Amino acid sequence: MGKIVSFPAVVLSMFCLAGSGIAGDTIKVGFVDTYSGPATTFTNDVLDGFKMAAEKINAKGGVLGRKITYVTRDDKFKPDIGLTMAKELILNENVDLLVGTINSATALAVSDLCRKEKVPFIATFSKSDKITGEKGHRYVFGMNENTEMAGRAAAKALSRMKFVKYWIAGDDYEYGHAIANGVFNHLKTLNPKVQLLGQSWWKVGETDFTPYITQILAAKPDFVIVATGGGGMVNFQKAAQSTGFNKRIPFYQHTAIELSTLMPQGQNAPEGVYGTANYLFYYPDSKENKAFVEEFRKAYNRYPKSGALYGYMTAQFIAKSFEKAGKIDREKLIDAMEGMTLPSPVGPMEMRACDHQVTLPMFFGVTKKSTQHEFLVAGDVVSIPGKDYMPSCAEIAKARAK
Amino acid sequence: MDFAANLFSTGTLSQILVGLSRTTILFIVSSGMSLILGVLRIPNVAHGSLYMIGAFVAWTVIQFLGGGLFAFLAALVVAPLIVAAVGFVLERGFFSYLYEREHLMLLLLTFSFALILGDLVKIVWGPEYRSVTVPAFFQGSAEIFGLPLPWYNLFLLIVGPCIAVFLWLVINKTNLGKIARAAAVDGEMVGAVGINVGWIFAFTFVLGSFLAGLGGALIAPMVNISLGMDHSLIMEAFLIVIIGGLGNMWGALLGSLIFGLTQSLGILVWPQFGIAFPYLAVVAVLVVRPRGLLRSTW
Repeated sequence: MGKIVSFPAVVLSMFCLAGSGIAGDTIKVGFVDTYSGPATTFTNDVLDGFKMAAEKINAKGGVLGRKITYVTRDDKFKPDIGLTMAKELILNENVDLLVGTINSATALAVSDLCRKEKVPFIATFSKSDKITGEKGHRYVFGMNENTEMAGRAAAKALSRMKFVKYWIAGDDYEYGHAIANGVFNHLKTLNPKVQLLGQSWWKVGETDFTPYITQILAAKPDFVIVATGGGGMVNFQKAAQSTGFNKRIPFYQHTAIELSTLMPQGQNAPEGVYGTANYLFYYPDSKENKAFVEEFRKAYNRYPKSGALYGYMTAQFIAKSFEKAGKIDREKLIDAMEGMTLPSPVGPMEMRACDHQVTLPMFFGVTKKSTQHEFLVAGDVVSIPGKDYMPSCAEIAKARAK
Repeated sequence: MDFAANLFSTGTLSQILVGLSRTTILFIVSSGMSLILGVLRIPNVAHGSLYMIGAFVAWTVIQFLGGGLFAFLAALVVAPLIVAAVGFVLERGFFSYLYEREHLMLLLLTFSFALILGDLVKIVWGPEYRSVTVPAFFQGSAEIFGLPLPWYNLFLLIVGPCIAVFLWLVINKTNLGKIARAAAVDGEMVGAVGINVGWIFAFTFVLGSFLAGLGGALIAPMVNISLGMDHSLIMEAFLIVIIGGLGNMWGALLGSLIFGLTQSLGILVWPQFGIAFPYLAVVAVLVVRPRGLLRSTW
């Protein structure tokens, strides 16, 4: 009996030794993310942005004399696979920290694991506000905006407009409802005069929006909050263009002005659509942003999207935090990253100490034709500073206490 | 909100027309599936993948020809033909070896092809979203009681009946169609009178695939062509085939009409829960007629 038990134990300890041996001379970052299926439109940018920054850091001698290396695991957009992969990366690959994931359910599962295992985890594309909100803890960091932040930013911009009768329409899943509620609830507090005329919800992956659009037109609202995500972004815009919806009733979509939404439609995207985004390769027209775009285009022959910014900054935050900590230690990394502010292509980005949520500007704009590009771009861009649309530390503390 | 008033508003007609144009796509895809199910007895889970390939091929053809009405019409012809060719390879190369086995084996094979074709699409076209523009000819929309109905939807309203008539002619007026119908009832007997049933099966599968490809090419300008578009459709197509009566072409038409219209009218009545209506209709139909509305060939 004793032999049977000890054999796996020996094998396991060999794995651990092998793992720690590799980890000894490099900084090993484990990526759990969706690398198959439609989500790769976003996740590949995160990885490429990270690679670009890591290569530059490594070329300059790395961090504390160590090179940044990474391993990737495909979670196939499934939380259970993601969790298994995350465990494998921690136990077998002995990674120093984890990065990912686009699926919020996976992010929350991995976050919970990381809290137990005391491994830092940087969430790079999942949009649930629970990650750094009510489910936040010492080991999890948010490197992108979330539904709560996007909702507040849009509400801020919309509250300056004189629309009164609103309609909500969106993909019937958590992201859709979270975005819609985020925008409307904050709008209602900022401008109590607004009223909700009605709502339409369709299933995720809906292909034909025409029946929904004609129904909304018949109801005659002043403005529509469209809460679509992923493929629904383009699908809805195409339907808006073919029905002339955008010319009759103005509407807003989070990420409507982003490259991932506008580029596939070429010159035929609808004009006059309001949207928010964390990153636009042509705005701000600053030296830093231009340099970032040029470097990214040289490396990957395409324009960077918001994911590229998140990935790029993830590598920077990891490198600078280890440098500040002075040694490769997970707890020291967390202490160092808390409250750290780094320059980024869109201006300074701060990793807030109280909730580990990055503070970054949000751009609000409206789609318009461009003379320089083969696709529509955002016009009348307003930059909303991070501090203006972040939930306060007190609000986060209250949410976490629940 | 006054539900009854919504149903008898000026929006109703426009909503019915929109619903009918949706019916067209559903009918084209589900009739192909029903055909294969009726004659070959294959519940083809990969049918949605063929539809997805149709949309991607249409995108490629339109890109290659530089867009415009001609490129779009060419895509409507080329995409279904290529998908039909894929169907031919699948049927002759794989399915034809399994007809003697249990249905479960065939089901598993079609399921594996749904996965394989999905990955092939990713390898060939990549994971990015693709988008086809509605040709200038169909851009804009007509006004019906002040509500817009896109010209493209009107075009679909014309295409739908044409396809239905074409299928009726093929199945009822050609020899091939008659033999296929006979094979659906008793394949062994058809073989016994000296007809090569294998080729009849191949013909049916190719025709079914052609329809899937045509559905994909027709929907291309309306949606975002992406991986995963197969999954959302396959469920609806199966439900339509089930409520219509397995393997019955006209059942597929009836099922598509029920699905398309309950959805668009449901949205008008209760927009928040519009998605539920087609499924409630499916439940209602199956409670009343568990074997489908029309006679099943099974």
